[in-house]
Amino acid sequence: MIDLFAITDDPAPPLPTVAPLSAVASHGLALVCAPAAHVEVSPEVLWRHEEVVEALMEDRDLLPVRFGTRLDDETAAARALGERHEELASALDRVRGAVELSVRVLGERSGEADADLPDPVTGAEYLRAKAASAAGERSAVRSVHEPLAARARDSKRLAARDRHELLRAAYLVDRSAVEPFAEQVSRLQHANPRLRLLCTGPWPPYSFTGE
Amino acid sequence: MSDKFLHTPPDLDLFASEPPRLDDALSRRVNADPEKLERGLAQLVLTVVELLRQLMERQALRRIDGGTLSTDEEERLGRTFMELDKRMEELRTEFGLDAEDLNLNLGPLGNLL
Repeated sequence: MIDLFAITDDPAPPLPTVAPLSAVASHGLALVCAPAAHVEVSPEVLWRHEEVVEALMEDRDLLPVRFGTRLDDETAAARALGERHEELASALDRVRGAVELSVRVLGERSGEADADLPDPVTGAEYLRAKAASAAGERSAVRSVHEPLAARARDSKRLAARDRHELLRAAYLVDRSAVEPFAEQVSRLQHANPRLRLLCTGPWPPYSFTGE
Repeated sequence: MSDKFLHTPPDLDLFASEPPRLDDALSRRVNADPEKLERGLAQLVLTVVELLRQLMERQALRRIDGGTLSTDEEERLGRTFMELDKRMEELRTEFGLDAEDLNLNLGPLGNLL
């Protein structure tokens, strides 16, 4: 079995030495893989995968492959590339020269412990809480997401994972525009002192690979 | 990792409140393994129910904004949605699903919810 890490152009710069990587080339694309090693899923193993993809990302464009994707052998990898090469090549073109930045926005009440925010008891309280969080989300979209999306090549809103989270979004940003983008985030933070903005990256374009 | 922070608020630790999900990378697809088929099926059914629940809830919020509901009606509606919300949470826990599992990626249309 082989573990898959990314799909890149072929030819591409020499592979980084962070792992025993090899590249299977077909139709102008290359699938970067390594002999399958781990059995148990652990945070270390996930970070290992991320580390390899990020090392690759430093000097080439790529479509990151989701952690845990495996094929039987290099022959199967070449076949997979051949079968989907048009789709993969155009997906790679869409992220060419760009990286993913992640932005999360918390509302002003997020610092309070959950005990300070009692669960709604009456139906009216429940609806009011829902209406307030919907209004908070709309305002975060207007004041943060829209100006950032206008700067990005592409953007995607992701589902919030926490009830204080007003916005979670990914932006596809040209490598040369990462710094100005981060500065824009700082300006938006300044203009919206009641929100808390977190911007991280650059990440491989996980949210823009078109599944 | 710290070089990944492009902009941070002063109270960064607030962002770390959510529990980490190790199975994030693995759980997003319906699994066809027979032993897990029940969970996959529950995931699909609950996704549809959750979609309807959210649509109705949004509709109710719009009606409240429009001011067409009496206080009594508001209370009754709110209670219904609150109980549905709780029940969904119980069902999710029972099948080991998390809010994000009840979403479908519709490709170019984005996410279902």
